[in-house]
Amino acid sequence: MTAAIAPLAHLVRRYWAVTLIVVAWQIWVSAAGLSSIVLPGPLAVAADFAGDPLSYARPAALTFAVAIVGLLLGFALGAGLAILSWSSRILNGLLTPLGLIFTSIPVVTLIPIIARLLGYDVRTVIAIVSLICFFPAFVYVGAGLRALPPGSDDLFRVFGGSRRQRFTRLVLPSAVPNLMLAFRLTAPEAVLAAVVAEFLMGTDGLGYMFRKAAGEFDTERALATSLIATITSVACFGLALAAERRVLRRWT
Amino acid sequence: MISARSQSFVLGLIGITLFLIAWEVIGIYRLAGLTWPPLSTVLAFLTTPAKLPLFGRAAAASFTSVALGYLCGAFGGLALAIISHLIAPVRPGLDRLVAVIHAIPSIALAPLLIVLASADATPPIISGLGVGYIFYVAATSGLATASASHRDLFAVLGASRLSVTLRLDLPSALPAIASAMKLSVPIAFIGAIIGEWFGASRGLGLLIVSAMQNFQIPLLWSAVLITAVASLAMFALFSLTERLVQERMR
Repeated sequence: MTAAIAPLAHLVRRYWAVTLIVVAWQIWVSAAGLSSIVLPGPLAVAADFAGDPLSYARPAALTFAVAIVGLLLGFALGAGLAILSWSSRILNGLLTPLGLIFTSIPVVTLIPIIARLLGYDVRTVIAIVSLICFFPAFVYVGAGLRALPPGSDDLFRVFGGSRRQRFTRLVLPSAVPNLMLAFRLTAPEAVLAAVVAEFLMGTDGLGYMFRKAAGEFDTERALATSLIATITSVACFGLALAAERRVLRRWT
Repeated sequence: MISARSQSFVLGLIGITLFLIAWEVIGIYRLAGLTWPPLSTVLAFLTTPAKLPLFGRAAAASFTSVALGYLCGAFGGLALAIISHLIAPVRPGLDRLVAVIHAIPSIALAPLLIVLASADATPPIISGLGVGYIFYVAATSGLATASASHRDLFAVLGASRLSVTLRLDLPSALPAIASAMKLSVPIAFIGAIIGEWFGASRGLGLLIVSAMQNFQIPLLWSAVLITAVASLAMFALFSLTERLVQERMR
């Protein structure tokens, strides 16, 4: 008996606040008799999605794919540049302050500039996502390459490890936890950046679907689209978290 | 012999200068096409006396949104963190709620807020939600950093839960809160700008998006530059505060 209740209690403990808000939303919409153009209730939004789930699948898959490609591209470039600047003290000195500057400004405001530079295109969305993922990767991996376990560097020197050995056996592995941390933190942002870019430029995907629905005052569809975008972003976070746990288990 | 510190300072300065020169050269020779203006053109456009009222009005509106969102988000996030610290059973639920709200794309929140509040209230609210998330996450982990021996001492001396929170947990959370102050600066700006992309009546975000759609390239770059410089200045100020707090609390 208690065995059946335990998971339920667990669920209630975790989701009481979210449930409360959704229920309050439904009651408020029903009680105030709001028109569904202004604000539909959660039941109506769910019904719209359940009525035609396939029409959401294609834009969601596209946005997800674009976000993943941009994320990986941005991370490859950011980590690559961090490694390059690790190997050269001058390059490091030149690039570190720039990296810091770009992480402290609102990078999202660069989306319109990139959109104008590259044209309204799916490739531009990928470029925007990778630009937004580039800076966290550069900064976190750079910090990881420099934060070696105390004494380990001396040990490698004493035993005459070459610079190359030091890099592949010590420096690179010690940056992996930081790399995965940055990956987990940036993965949901990648989806949100893709959605904003699609919204602004009107290129295919969830962002465009949202813009079209909102423009046609189809508020149910617009809200269902943002629900799907939220789920996509959370799924991206979940995947990154699983990847992080897996990598850390192997490395440490 | 130059110290390593001043050496890295000089190198950093050279790096930034090279970046600005590259910006200028790419613009002058149109290496990136017509939509990349040289830095000098952007600066000249920014300092045209006729444009000053335009930028002044837009910046005033946006910075008000940023300040309002930042303050409300900071205090709201802190208050929620203290509540979840004081009343342990509500914590898992609040954690989930905050994470779910944070995961909703801001472009999806904006139209909702325009209906629920108003177009002009949307930028500070989005900005406040982003800032509140950072403060909540930083403060909940910061409030748990007090050492066990301190906690035992307070328990032995018969301190109430509230007084432990106010006199022990809150002071030991200060470094984490100082980091949150710094890290939430760009988030506050992003929230305000995205909020303005949805039908605000004035602001830098509106200027950016209308300049993008109407091919007003120098205007577009100028508005982005103002936003970036403001965010950078505020970030630098709070980095200094963070360092002071961390030195004091060590």
